[in-house]
Amino acid sequence: MFGYVRPYKSEMLVREYDQYKAAYCQLCKELGKSFGIGARFILSYDCTFYAMLAIGVTGSELTLHHGKCKMNPLKKCSYIASYGEEYKRAAALSVITTYHKLRDTIEDDSFRKSFVSRLALPFMKRKYKKASGMYPLMAKAVEEAMADQQEAEKDPQASIDRCCEPTAHMLSVLFEELGGCNERQKPVLRQIGYFLGRWIYAMDAADDLRDDLETGSFNPFIHKLSLQNYLPDKGQKRSKQLLSGENRKNVELACNEVLNTNIAMILPALNLLELQNFDAIIENIIKKGLPEMQREILFLHVKEKGNDRSV
Amino acid sequence: MTDPYKVLGVSPSASDDEIKEAYRNLAKKYHPDQYAESPLKELADEKMKEINEAYDQINAQRKGGAGAGGAAGRGYTGGYNNVGANGSSEFRDVRTYIMSGRIADAEQILNGVPADRRNAEWYFLKGSVLFRRGWVEEAKEHFTRACQMDPGNTEYSAALNSAMNQGRGVYGGYSPGMNSNVGGCNSCDICSSLICADCCCECMGGDLIPCC
Repeated sequence: MFGYVRPYKSEMLVREYDQYKAAYCQLCKELGKSFGIGARFILSYDCTFYAMLAIGVTGSELTLHHGKCKMNPLKKCSYIASYGEEYKRAAALSVITTYHKLRDTIEDDSFRKSFVSRLALPFMKRKYKKASGMYPLMAKAVEEAMADQQEAEKDPQASIDRCCEPTAHMLSVLFEELGGCNERQKPVLRQIGYFLGRWIYAMDAADDLRDDLETGSFNPFIHKLSLQNYLPDKGQKRSKQLLSGENRKNVELACNEVLNTNIAMILPALNLLELQNFDAIIENIIKKGLPEMQREILFLHVKEKGNDRSV
Repeated sequence: MTDPYKVLGVSPSASDDEIKEAYRNLAKKYHPDQYAESPLKELADEKMKEINEAYDQINAQRKGGAGAGGAAGRGYTGGYNNVGANGSSEFRDVRTYIMSGRIADAEQILNGVPADRRNAEWYFLKGSVLFRRGWVEEAKEHFTRACQMDPGNTEYSAALNSAMNQGRGVYGGYSPGMNSNVGGCNSCDICSSLICADCCCECMGGDLIPCC
């Protein structure tokens, strides 16, 4: 996962923001506890959302604690702990997805570019084994998604829908699992997972589009929006023609439409989701956080200006 | 029977207007229109039924058991499905499968149709199948093709329109230019507000901008 699923802070109540931070810190703590101090570095917003959704659905009993941040001794943190295993599950998901992402980088990128990933892989491998032992179904879902993704990207003309399918299917399985024995809620969770997975994959593809065009890497939007002209010429490493000006704007509008469609499919399902906890935060993330991410990446280009985004 | 007040999320001491508003908000949330093509249709209908019953029950109780205003007042019932039974259809079996939710069967038949027999209706139905599977982008392409082949058909253009509106941010998401997130105010807003204020002043006999 990529860190695109986060709340829109200025539309949150202070209380909600504090709760979000406390859940974030608790997940960090859980990563350290289950997988060692090094695992704290793979903490992500996406997996925090997963943990909070899990808690919201199961309605586990929560307790609030205060303490010092392990990573920054000057910072004080609050923690929302749960009697259930939601954080453990989210921590395992962080480990499993990070491990696969490292392997993916090593396979795709040059030796120099993937150097850090190569160093980190042996560390992650042990953690991955532990996590996949704890949640074999989750490990299987992620593994299948990675294999299917490779399969889909073999065809340069693969449609957006085909390319979104692996991530979408993976999240639909992972979200459905959260429903436990609640048969009424399972289809709702499946639908949210499916279209959130599509949104995440499409957001990542839209975010990487300019880089992919420059280096000639696979990106489903190239075929969808007929951008083959911008790819590097044969024998050349980098493309001379950059996507810019009016053309770039049109491409971004088209990407934005694809993303909006997925949000439009999540919202009716979200209306039917029964949450015992964190309902306002989860609603904020889907209804405000995701559109805000589209705005920042596609229209404000925050990444290019070197601006830091933080919640 | 569950507590009708709990179903609507209001306290038993709430006023009639509060109850009406709570009911309206929930009815909007579960409105069948958004679930026409969705696997969640049944659950949404169930929820809709629950709140309708709760609302009727409260109304009946408050009006001394008469309950006359209840059912008449709500006006949110039933649902519709974009793919209907079309009398002159070449693909009546496909339509039946889609309406009964047997998407895989419908797709199998559609895929077996040779390329030269794929007419506008085929593209519309294939688009509907793709849409139900969540392959929204390909669905749009198929709806577009159906509309190109048979421009006058309202069934096809309605499907295309509703799919396109999702992308435009009508049902959520981000639409550039209509940004409600930022409480900004541009020069155009200022001018129009001033003119508006001037008009108001003039109505009351005063004047804010003497020259107009």
